[in-house]
Amino acid sequence: MSLEQFKNRNVGTQNYVKLDLDHSPTTGWCQFKQVVKRTFKPELFVGLGVTFREMVNALFRGKMHTTQYPFEKLPISPRYRAIHDMLRLLESGNYRCIGCGLCEKICISDCISMETKYDENQRKEVSEYTINFGRCIFCGYCAEVCPELAIVHGGRYENASEQRASFSLFEDMLTPIDQLNLQQEYAGFGAISPNADENVKSTPLAY
Amino acid sequence: MVSTIFLTATALPEVIWIGVIIKAVLILAVIAAIAGFGTYIERKILAFMQRRLGPQHVGPFGLLQLAADGIKLFTKEDIIPQHANKFIFSIAPVITAATAFIALAAVPVFPDFTIPFTDILVPSIASDINVGILFVLGMMAAGLYGPLLAGMSQGNKWGIIGSARTAIQFLSYEVVTGLSVLAPIMMVGSLSFVDFNDYQTDGLWLVVYQPIAFVLFLIAGFAETNRTPFDLLEHEAEIISGYVTEYSGMRWGLFFIGEYANMITIGVIASIVFLGGYNDFLFIPGWIMIIGKIAFSFFFMLWVRAAWPHVRPDQLMWLCWKVLMPLAVINVLITGLVIMI
Amino acid sequence: MYETIAFYTFAISTTILFLITVMSKNVLYAMTALASGMVMISGFFFLLGADFLGVVQLIVYVGAVMALYGFAMMFFDATRDIKEKHQNPALVFLLGGLMALMFVVIFSAPIIGDNVQALYPIVEGVGNAQAVGMVLFTKYLVPFEVAALMLLVAMIAGIILAGKKMDYSLTTSEAADEEINVEEKLQADIEREKGEA
Ligand code: SF4
Ligand code: SF4
Repeated sequence: MSLEQFKNRNVGTQNYVKLDLDHSPTTGWCQFKQVVKRTFKPELFVGLGVTFREMVNALFRGKMHTTQYPFEKLPISPRYRAIHDMLRLLESGNYRCIGCGLCEKICISDCISMETKYDENQRKEVSEYTINFGRCIFCGYCAEVCPELAIVHGGRYENASEQRASFSLFEDMLTPIDQLNLQQEYAGFGAISPNADENVKSTPLAY
Repeated sequence: MVSTIFLTATALPEVIWIGVIIKAVLILAVIAAIAGFGTYIERKILAFMQRRLGPQHVGPFGLLQLAADGIKLFTKEDIIPQHANKFIFSIAPVITAATAFIALAAVPVFPDFTIPFTDILVPSIASDINVGILFVLGMMAAGLYGPLLAGMSQGNKWGIIGSARTAIQFLSYEVVTGLSVLAPIMMVGSLSFVDFNDYQTDGLWLVVYQPIAFVLFLIAGFAETNRTPFDLLEHEAEIISGYVTEYSGMRWGLFFIGEYANMITIGVIASIVFLGGYNDFLFIPGWIMIIGKIAFSFFFMLWVRAAWPHVRPDQLMWLCWKVLMPLAVINVLITGLVIMI
Repeated sequence: MYETIAFYTFAISTTILFLITVMSKNVLYAMTALASGMVMISGFFFLLGADFLGVVQLIVYVGAVMALYGFAMMFFDATRDIKEKHQNPALVFLLGGLMALMFVVIFSAPIIGDNVQALYPIVEGVGNAQAVGMVLFTKYLVPFEVAALMLLVAMIAGIILAGKKMDYSLTTSEAADEEINVEEKLQADIEREKGEA
């Protein structure tokens, strides 16, 4: 399934196949005809044929459908809201978060807590940043409100771990510095829409 | 008495007790193992038909899944519900498994053979009573007491519904089974499996003469073994697990060993009565033929399970009393007329 | 030797099982004992070399008792004991005992008088089924046919009793069809009204 189909939520525009069901028979003759028709229609054998064909397909034509989950994973939609990622600036490698505290403020389950201080250049520095994933409802508000696209939702959906702290610290969510080149811009909630350029209007300067 | 038991075993080396014991061990060990192994095969084949992989991780190709399941079943807590009738509840699974194996005692699986370098003749049947086919069908019918008692004794509504369904299924399909094998019995003129086999040694397979009886027998066989189009007794979507709702551990496992043994029995009966038995076919030796036939009928049961939906109880009885039974009676009548003329 | 052991095993277990059938207050125990008693009785037939009758006993009674289970399921709670009403236990005991005694006398008299003969002994070379068939279709032909007729009558009576509502199908969705018809009518009505308006 391609991403386009995957994201298509316009129910009703798909090509549905309508079943051609006939009404229950009313007269005895109709019932008899139905019985005869159903008796001699080889539908049951069509069913057997279908399953056998699928078995041959699976075994010999490499159409096995199983995803062996812990070893291979299906791609998830970019809009999926899983464990957060903290992104870095591509140029300097510094984290993008400016410590504005908007995410902490908007979080409706009150699970982000952060502490900031001024560093020697009088810039805000994030000294503590944790998300309590026992409470987070993955609403995505924090990602939407962040002015710097610093906090986004990542694709890590396997939330079982020995300790909650395993993925709630700032360092854990931050893109590892050596994988900076692999950092993906987030396409989901709160991100710039793909056709943002078209929507930008030039500021009317001629007052 | 002993002489009547081995009436038909006239082959030269005398059948001695050791041969019978070897046969009994063969049946118990091999069929019990296959019955257990059947669960693995069923899961694999159903998986392939749905383009899945099936058991995969225990042993190569998941072959040892059976051992894993066995360990699980044996070590599971054996729960007996508080308001159940404890005695009946405990013996019900044993009935299913035991009758399934007793039925196998009168079923021929391989042709007679002597063990190489000795004079020990292993007969084709552990005990060739001369009403073999009736005995096997009767024992399989008695096996349905397992589900019936299990359902009634556990003090659970789903169980009661399951056992009620057992009763109707049994009462309906016993008739069809009997009538459908009656026509071949009339042609052969004997109730012994060995005679069935010998009848087809030179001629065509009986399925050529009796196609309707064969189909009817297969349908009734599905009902008898609770296989999918007729698995009303334990249909999960409707009655949780029916008669096995309250069972756990190895008692639950016994039901399934019984069910798979019954599937093999039905396969054996179908291949001996209708499909030419363990006779040699062209250049293929008989024992390969019979294994192939049994394997195919086992596979067919799984295939049907993958392909067909199951029917409602009322549809089952409608089918039985209004379609299959008249067909079977007509078949018997026509066979009788043809034999007389 | 083996036959003696087998006979006594079957005899004792049959007696015990039927005693349970009569004495037990639990439907489930009674029915199960009845069924297994019937199976045990078929053991006697096998012992006597009458395989066919043994198997017939097995098949017929397994089915018959299964039907009884159906009634038990409908009338009783299978997991509880049933309160039985005994109005005169002494009399019941006396009559029952007398009857049992009478049966013992009736059946043991010929044995004591050494006057037991097989009417149709097993002939070597004639199978069980054939032997039964020969007797049934020669000497006992009339009773056999009468029995068949009676069963037919019973079957037809049963069908008529149960078949009063047979035309009315619980399953084919007549109701659904009706609904569809109603909907179509409504649709037509709406359209007509639109046309008029
Ligand atoms: S996703 Fe929602 S609940 Fe979770 S941290 Fe962000 S704002 Fe809070
Ligand atoms: S909203 Fe963005 S920039 Fe502001 S504190 Fe949160 S993560 Fe940092």
